[in-house]
Amino acid sequence: MAEPRTGLRVDGDVVPAGAPGATLLDVLRASGNFAAKGACRRGECGACTVLVGDRAVLACTTLAALVTDEVTTAAGLGDDAADLRAAFADHAAFQCGFCTPGQVVRAEAVLRERVERGRDEIVRAMSGNVCRCTGYRQIVDAVCAVAQSRQCFRKVSS
Amino acid sequence: MSALGQSVRPLDWVEKTSGTARYAADEPPEGTLVARVLRSPLPHADIRRLDVSAALRVPGVHAVVTAADFPEGRLYEHSGGPYSDRPPMAVDRVLYVGHEVAAVAAETAEAADEAIRRIDVRYRRRKAVLTVPDALAPGAPRLHERADGANVAVATAEHWGDVDLARTNASVAARGTFRYPRVNHACMEPNTTIAWWHGERLEMWTSSQAPHFVVHELTHLFGLELDQVVCRDVAVGGGFGSKSKISEHEALAAALSMKCGRPVLLELSRAEEFAFTKPRHAFETRLEAHADADGRLCFLDAVIDVDNGAYNHYGPSVMRAGIKQLGSMYRPDAVRWDARLVDTNLVPGGQFRGYGQPQTAIALETLMDELAEKCGQDPIEFRIDNSGLPDTTQLSGSQVGSNRLRECLAQVRDRIGWDAKRGPDRRPYRGVGVSSGMHASGSYAYPGGNTSAAGVEVRTTGDVVVRFGGADAGTGQRTILGQIAAEVLGVPMDRISVIMADWDETPPDMGAWSSRGTHMGGHAVRQTAEAMAARLCELGAEKLGTSEVALADGRVSSAADSVAIADLVDLADESADGSLRIDTEYVEPKMQPYWTGIERPNISATYAYAAHAIEVEVDPGTGVIRVLDYAAVHDIGRAINPALVEGQIIGGAVQGLGAALGERLHYEGGRLVNAGYVHYPLPRATTVPSIDVALIEGPEPAGPFNAKSVGEIALIPAAPALLNAVYDATGIRFRELPLTPDVVLAALQERDGVPPRKHHLARRPGRWQIGLFRALYPYGIHLLLDRWGTRFARRRTPRAVERVALPETVAEAVAELSSPDATVIGGGTDVLVQRDQELLFPTVLVGTNKIAALRGIDEEAGGDWRIGAAVTLAELATWAAERVPVVADAVATIASAQIREVATVAGNLGQEKRCWFFRNGFDCYKRGGVSCPCYAVEGDHRLHHAAIGGHRCQAVTPSDLATVFDALGAEVVLTGPGGSRRVSIAGLYAGPGELDLRPGELVEAIVLPAAALRSRGTFVKLQQWDGDFALVSLAACASVDTDGRWTAARYVFGGLAPKPWQPPRLTRALAGTVPTPDAVADVLDQDLSWEAHPLPGNRWKLDAAIGLARQATEQLLLGRTRDEE
Repeated sequence: MAEPRTGLRVDGDVVPAGAPGATLLDVLRASGNFAAKGACRRGECGACTVLVGDRAVLACTTLAALVTDEVTTAAGLGDDAADLRAAFADHAAFQCGFCTPGQVVRAEAVLRERVERGRDEIVRAMSGNVCRCTGYRQIVDAVCAVAQSRQCFRKVSS
Repeated sequence: MSALGQSVRPLDWVEKTSGTARYAADEPPEGTLVARVLRSPLPHADIRRLDVSAALRVPGVHAVVTAADFPEGRLYEHSGGPYSDRPPMAVDRVLYVGHEVAAVAAETAEAADEAIRRIDVRYRRRKAVLTVPDALAPGAPRLHERADGANVAVATAEHWGDVDLARTNASVAARGTFRYPRVNHACMEPNTTIAWWHGERLEMWTSSQAPHFVVHELTHLFGLELDQVVCRDVAVGGGFGSKSKISEHEALAAALSMKCGRPVLLELSRAEEFAFTKPRHAFETRLEAHADADGRLCFLDAVIDVDNGAYNHYGPSVMRAGIKQLGSMYRPDAVRWDARLVDTNLVPGGQFRGYGQPQTAIALETLMDELAEKCGQDPIEFRIDNSGLPDTTQLSGSQVGSNRLRECLAQVRDRIGWDAKRGPDRRPYRGVGVSSGMHASGSYAYPGGNTSAAGVEVRTTGDVVVRFGGADAGTGQRTILGQIAAEVLGVPMDRISVIMADWDETPPDMGAWSSRGTHMGGHAVRQTAEAMAARLCELGAEKLGTSEVALADGRVSSAADSVAIADLVDLADESADGSLRIDTEYVEPKMQPYWTGIERPNISATYAYAAHAIEVEVDPGTGVIRVLDYAAVHDIGRAINPALVEGQIIGGAVQGLGAALGERLHYEGGRLVNAGYVHYPLPRATTVPSIDVALIEGPEPAGPFNAKSVGEIALIPAAPALLNAVYDATGIRFRELPLTPDVVLAALQERDGVPPRKHHLARRPGRWQIGLFRALYPYGIHLLLDRWGTRFARRRTPRAVERVALPETVAEAVAELSSPDATVIGGGTDVLVQRDQELLFPTVLVGTNKIAALRGIDEEAGGDWRIGAAVTLAELATWAAERVPVVADAVATIASAQIREVATVAGNLGQEKRCWFFRNGFDCYKRGGVSCPCYAVEGDHRLHHAAIGGHRCQAVTPSDLATVFDALGAEVVLTGPGGSRRVSIAGLYAGPGELDLRPGELVEAIVLPAAALRSRGTFVKLQQWDGDFALVSLAACASVDTDGRWTAARYVFGGLAPKPWQPPRLTRALAGTVPTPDAVADVLDQDLSWEAHPLPGNRWKLDAAIGLARQATEQLLLGRTRDEE
């Protein structure tokens, strides 16, 4: 029988794992990390997307006790995602900004896969992140621009 | 370089993209309590008893409030005068499901929840009016005493222009009844407030677009002075109008904090957000439009019923705005209306982007198309000919300056490729449509609506601070105001900061509503910055010793010398602490108020115009509408920040499309059914086209730097343009939103005269009992079970998880599962959701991700493949991509990439049914037990319920993997205390989303037979958005011999029946043939006739199933298996 963890590594810190039934989102916010947003808390919108290891997952439907890898929120992406954040700004890819940390984390995970994608594939890869403000085009524009500069963009979608 | 006209980065971009922007719920003060609200479960009832004493005894509870905690008789001001009708909490009577009865604040959420459960409240049910016709029926119970008639909050019957003359001129008419349903803003940030009463002041961190209304209403409700309430400057996660006035939770949080002196956080859950915030008002608009023989619009005649909900709020002005549009866009000779705002026992309607105009626009713009057709004219030309003109006063009183609607229409024609797309070479079921739109730039709807104030401060550091008392909920107003100040003062954007909302720091402003942000706020900042510029020049002149000075690039310069504005600050007598500040108030001269007896006031200073055109393709097999192309051309005056303007246009258009294609709040017995994103098909990235935006710029002297509004206008033309495009594609005029596939497919069948399918129920004794039961539902069964049966409903007592077990072997897991309180957890993507939905409260969670035996995919002897239960969907897709593409294709349609990373194969198979009644708290047969009704029988069952084989419960198995595994002939290995056994997919399920497991058993693996990997397969799915659960899906697999004959084939449907469903006749008929799509459709049609037993609203699913079967067959015939390649 494996032992549940007592602490979680988040953005370079160790935070308490919380109650046995706590979700990762509960644990993050209780620890004072507010980057992941609780927009639906039922796995339906993507606003709480964080990296667990290098996988983008939803903090609201992740049981903290099952998490073993390092957790990275939008606040912990650091300079790795500086170009992505700048692209979001330059394309006006956010308005209210509430879904944005989740969008940025998801986009960063997609880009880190270093798989060549066309615009349509990027749209599909980002489709789990709901945005009510932008109508999505400018988000997709931003991610495509970074994919291009990171040399994983394909002009023609498959 | 000028700051205007540049797409500068939003001022808050660093914070918003890195997750450090502070929203209301973030960084709560030390000691913040959590609040919960007790809401009415009934649409209309007397409160017979309300005792909160037990709640107060729950450890950790600090305050409980009810109506008794507010001054007696105190009402929200809202629209003011006779329109004010709402007390801050329910007084003796509840008027809608969700009405606030009590609220508690406690140390923890659990304590607050427990306290809510302990409140003793008894109701006496009253008859409720849930629709406008019910409310207007003779003898209907009344919600309020109203001067304009029973349940008529406001009635208005008037006209503009000479009605008789207009009618005489007219020779062509078009008419129709149009319905726009209730839709929700669905802001990403739920409504959230932290209120803290300390030092005789209320400090608020709240998700508001307009602190003005929060401050004024709270001071009014609690008898405070204006300076006793302050809203802090927080990021606001979307508003779209919903947060432009006070919201009820703000008053409740304040009341709780005033009672206990602690900061109180009240954050609505997403379910509350959908159910209990104030949606767009539903309109029924009966409109007649008349034109003369030359195609000149003469007369519009409207009868409008608006569903007010239980209180007025701003319903009177929403209705007025909807009417006003009829006399503002075009040039009819007369407009007449007869409109009523009708009280119903539903959550009150509220302010929503477009404000009444989207609702009437679908009527006006559809009939403009119909008139054009009747007059033999092109719809765009017809609109251009009838367009309102610049520098004129419209019938409605709007004194229009610039109006470039005609240019917008002409340009949108080119951008969408109108002539080619409507030409003779067009493809069937494709069409294009157009619509105009207009919106004012702010309105003088309330006293003070014509004013705005701003402060501008220059510091000795050279920084410029703009101080503005409105709030930016995401529109970019903060950045726009900064750009205007930068322009006037000639300083770069990186020296500009903008403080908003916090009246300790800013002069008051009325906030962001009615598209007034840029116009009113822009003028206020412009005027204040100009005053500052003048003062700086004065100081500079003094310093430089000449009156010939100019301000540019942050310096005041004379011919000989210059000085930085930073160095001028300390020269001013009025400067303090290294800062020179000027505040001014802007009064808009062109606005006229509504309430002073001006017959047709010009409520705004400028008017923005737009033309949108949409190309669609309608799938005649499934009824799905795909938007192929979208062009939006806007008369913007001047775009101060083009990227932000584009963002408003695209975002607004997409919200309009959402309402056109899928969004709608569904109620059952007054209670919201679809209270979550998963059941509310708002646009996703994959469902919207890339919208092409063009801006037409030009002078508008009344606007700040020529700018006109853009916040609301883009939503208005989206739905009418879509309706017109669908007509062009199908020849069918739809007059009610949204155009979900069921509506479209049913209309296509009707158009084509397809008779309804016969189901031979007289000859199917197996269905008699259910048929009888269903037939009796409307005659008392539903009422009996709903009113009385649910009193005996099983309710699960919330329990915390005590332990998470992480076994490393299957045997250890089986041992853990011997406890009835233990539940398996894979990725957690359903178990944790079910806990939140109060369906499941395990005390032990048994994780499977450490069990190596469940984590692999291995080939067995004989070529079968064994897929471990804890394999994630992402891993399965990767493995299947080359081996069994049909599995990968199916996985790609499941939920989101984030879910697929962690959701497991067994979890997908074992997920609970997604019936929206079951999931959203209805005490239905499955949630509550045998004494409870199935709400789907009488309720909205068009999308998510069984059309085949439904029994007491009409839900379906939601797992797409079950559908595809069944088609592949997979088996499931179940292991329990008694050992392992294998079952088929059909044998796996006891009911919809219910696994037939023995005590202590778990799913260990799925075995795909070797033959499955050699067959051709395809998966097609009808869904409302990418990742949605299947409305109908089909996995079809065929083994094909070298001659192309199908030696074996399995077609398995999801979403149609309680379990994956295989049409028996079709399976037999396919073997040994080379089928055609038509032949498959014919045999399937027989199967559906003889096997299906649809509910009245979901017959369409059977037709959609045939459409999918045709698609799948075509794909199978084209397809090749891996071996064949």
